[in-house]
Amino acid sequence: MPERPVSPDWRAEVRARLASAGLRPQDEAELTEEMAQHLDEQFADLAPSIGSDAARAQLTAQLRDSSLDEAISRRRRRARPPAARTWSSGSIWRDVRYGLRSLRRSPGVFAAGTAALALGIGLTTMMFSILYGAIIKGLPFDDPSRIAYVSYNDPRHGVIDGGAPLGDYQRFAARQRSFETFGGLYRATATLTGADRPERIEIARMTAGVFEMLETRPMLGRFFVARDNQRDAEPTAVLGYSVWRDRYASDSAVLGRAIRLNGKQYTVIGVMPEKFQFPDEARIWLPLQLNASLAPGDGPSLNIVGRLRPGVDYESANVEFRGLMQQLDAERSTPTTIRPVVLPYVRATMPKRVYTLLYSMLAAVILVLLVACANVTNLLLDRTLRRSREIGIRTALGATRLAVVRQSFVESAILAGLAAIVGTALAHIGIVLFNGAFPAAERRFWMDIRLHPAVLVFVVSMAILATLVSGLLPAIQSTRLDVGSILKDESHSTSSLRVGRLSRLIVAFELALSSALLVGAGFLTKSVVKLRNVEPGFVTASVFTAQLTAAPGDSLKQRAFFESVDRELNALSGVEGAYLGSGLPGRGLGSDRFAVEGRTYQSERDYGRTRTLAITPRFFTTFGVHVLKGRGITADDRLGTPGVAVVNEAFVRQNFRGGDAIGRRIRLGGGESKLDWVTIVGVVPTLYTATIDDPFPPAVITALWQRPQISSVAVAVRGPADVASAPAVRKVIASLDPEIPLYATSTMSEELRAPMWPLQLFGNLFIVFGIVSLVLATIGLYAVMAFSASRRVRELGIRMALGASGRDVIGLVSRQGARQIVVGVTIGVLIGTGFVRLIRAVLFDVQPNDPWVFALVVGVLGSSAFVACLVPALRAGRVDPVIALRSEQ
Amino acid sequence: MLTDELKKGSAEFLILSLLEAEARHGYELQKLIESRSKGVISFHVASLYPLLYRLEDRGWIVGRWVEKPGERRRRFYRITPAGKDTLEAQRDSWREFVAAINRISGVRYA
Repeated sequence: MPERPVSPDWRAEVRARLASAGLRPQDEAELTEEMAQHLDEQFADLAPSIGSDAARAQLTAQLRDSSLDEAISRRRRRARPPAARTWSSGSIWRDVRYGLRSLRRSPGVFAAGTAALALGIGLTTMMFSILYGAIIKGLPFDDPSRIAYVSYNDPRHGVIDGGAPLGDYQRFAARQRSFETFGGLYRATATLTGADRPERIEIARMTAGVFEMLETRPMLGRFFVARDNQRDAEPTAVLGYSVWRDRYASDSAVLGRAIRLNGKQYTVIGVMPEKFQFPDEARIWLPLQLNASLAPGDGPSLNIVGRLRPGVDYESANVEFRGLMQQLDAERSTPTTIRPVVLPYVRATMPKRVYTLLYSMLAAVILVLLVACANVTNLLLDRTLRRSREIGIRTALGATRLAVVRQSFVESAILAGLAAIVGTALAHIGIVLFNGAFPAAERRFWMDIRLHPAVLVFVVSMAILATLVSGLLPAIQSTRLDVGSILKDESHSTSSLRVGRLSRLIVAFELALSSALLVGAGFLTKSVVKLRNVEPGFVTASVFTAQLTAAPGDSLKQRAFFESVDRELNALSGVEGAYLGSGLPGRGLGSDRFAVEGRTYQSERDYGRTRTLAITPRFFTTFGVHVLKGRGITADDRLGTPGVAVVNEAFVRQNFRGGDAIGRRIRLGGGESKLDWVTIVGVVPTLYTATIDDPFPPAVITALWQRPQISSVAVAVRGPADVASAPAVRKVIASLDPEIPLYATSTMSEELRAPMWPLQLFGNLFIVFGIVSLVLATIGLYAVMAFSASRRVRELGIRMALGASGRDVIGLVSRQGARQIVVGVTIGVLIGTGFVRLIRAVLFDVQPNDPWVFALVVGVLGSSAFVACLVPALRAGRVDPVIALRSEQ
Repeated sequence: MLTDELKKGSAEFLILSLLEAEARHGYELQKLIESRSKGVISFHVASLYPLLYRLEDRGWIVGRWVEKPGERRRRFYRITPAGKDTLEAQRDSWREFVAAINRISGVRYA
């Protein structure tokens, strides 16, 4: 067995070698340990083959080799002061001051970054304020999330969010356990008479439970209690603040007095406080009369509301109501396919497409914010690179990786913080503009759009998001910089190329987001332009409009009243035409099924659908509409003469393939219609209807005077401003019956504009989003192209010195940008296509696949991106090879 | 035996290549280089450590003390992302260099 070689004490040997080096004790200990270990192992390997003495001599000689001095001096250089405590508040404050100072040295980055983020945060905050005020905040009552709405869905019969009959409500109220308070109501309009002049107002009939649910105290008197809802109870009323103030001069002695609604007496028992609104515009509340003898499915249709018991969620309430519905079905003679749905009040009563629209808009502005962040990322990346030497020195002087990263985040946080302040101010301006453009009539009673505290929380989170998104890549990049080579100023190239690739990726991403937004903006622009240029086909200037409802009662008296209104209005001096009808053209058209004589219909669905309007003969002169074929409605078309109708060209195209419609007979209503057949006597042009989905629909126009019953009409008077006005028309009505109010007074052009407000408002908003993101993306592309071209000055100089022409260089530089443009725009257009489907609700007369819009978007974005590439490319083409080669040496 | 000049130029490249797959300690590196080059290239304490510390100062490799149960603690070196990038760049230029030499000298591999 060979004798195991005795290893020399290598530790002592190494320590002796290091003795005069002057290392710090810890460094010396580590160096000693590492090398002694190495020598130990090598000795163990070497000694058996060449012998202990020879091995020892060889290794000792190596240890004495002077080249080891470099290793020692490198360890000596590593000796550094202890790292500053990274997270002390003092050091963060120092970072902030340092960041401010260094940002001030590059005012361009500072201004551009803040402006981009401020736009992004401003738009996002504005959109969130709208969403929050309109939907998220909920009703202005205590604990609004528990206030629920119960509706009936019956898709098989086309019912969605329908009301429930009183008979069903009474059973639910007696059996349900999910709600602590539960009530039913329906809305109506009524004529309030007495005092000075008659007024048409919104009222609501409610059960006592609705007031209990809202948990608001009346200002005077009391609410209804259960006995007010009994059939034989004395009729009572609760007044809204505005009625009390305007009609009763804020008189607290109003309690106990009688008011007259639709000719019936009610005793005032309470007055609500000023801010109270529920539901919507109701200004007087009457008790809803219950009727215990009603069967399920019978009685007037109600809106059912309730406050969930604490701890009961919507899911379990839905389960309970489905069970209750099964019980009701068992009591009915014929089973139904109705499914009751319990939803939070706001969710249930806002149209779904408004929901989708608002959330899509928020998504759109978050895209704008991301584009802005991408820009800031690029600016900061560029700075990181330019400052790589500084970062190298900081690292060499002992800055930890964390400190370097934090410095980078502190800078993006400074930008985002400033941007949040500017952005909030921008959002405030935006909200003021939005509220101005949002018609009061369309505003639901709970909506309150402003900078709520919750919105400010949102601003802070957006600023944090912007800080992280725009600071992350530069931070990562700054830690990956190669300190050794930077300090020696050897190769900037590796790291700068890496940054370049990243920047180009970011720009392609920006271009994609912007083109998605521009696709949306393009479609809405086209919609808004189309709407602005729409030709209604009838006169809308100097036309006064209003609604008129006859006193309830005898239908012959009602007809006589309207006939006198027609006569008197047309007799006013200066009037060009006064019209009465079932609705206003372009606005108040009805919708009905119809049958053409001689055709067979298998089921209810086979019947056609058309818009309807019943008019007086003066329709044609009042609105300047010409009959194309046959005749119009005349004074001879009265009750008792054969029924006639005039149809529009769209109707002829749709139902008679453009052939002759005159003389054909049609009947309004579906299979169970009791109406008479009417003969088509004329054809008129297709008139515009102010709806987003179908602005030029087929329509059947009948004679108002041939209707068996007329209780309410729309009025239009065309003439000079003093005649076609509320006071003039009101005077005529008052002379005929002082108790009849003229209401909903407006003008024809306003009536046409009003329903299109979502398109106008959201269209304009979207166009702003699109333009902002286009500007941001173009600037981003320009910055990256300019930066990458300037970094390649030396390379381009060499190329030109070797014979490349200026044109070659321009081509080279712009080709580099072209790829990002193509990739970015292609992806963006694909995203945009999906997006347009979401905002369909506000597309007017434009197909979501309109190729021209896509072509336009690609054109606009492509050409501005091309310019952004070309400018740096042209500059590169003018590079003087000699100067380029000398620079950056 | 290679000349010192050539050896110095290629030494960094060799170390980075050996650390690409896994972390290793100093003596292990020395043995690997010697055995894989069949003795053509060799290092010793005084030539290896200046090199390792230089690479570490540049941020291409990082040394860490690792303690394994039943063993002495050793300093293991591993490659950093920056080191990987450098390695790629050096590989490219080495390939180009070898190809250029081959074209000029007419040396062909079998």
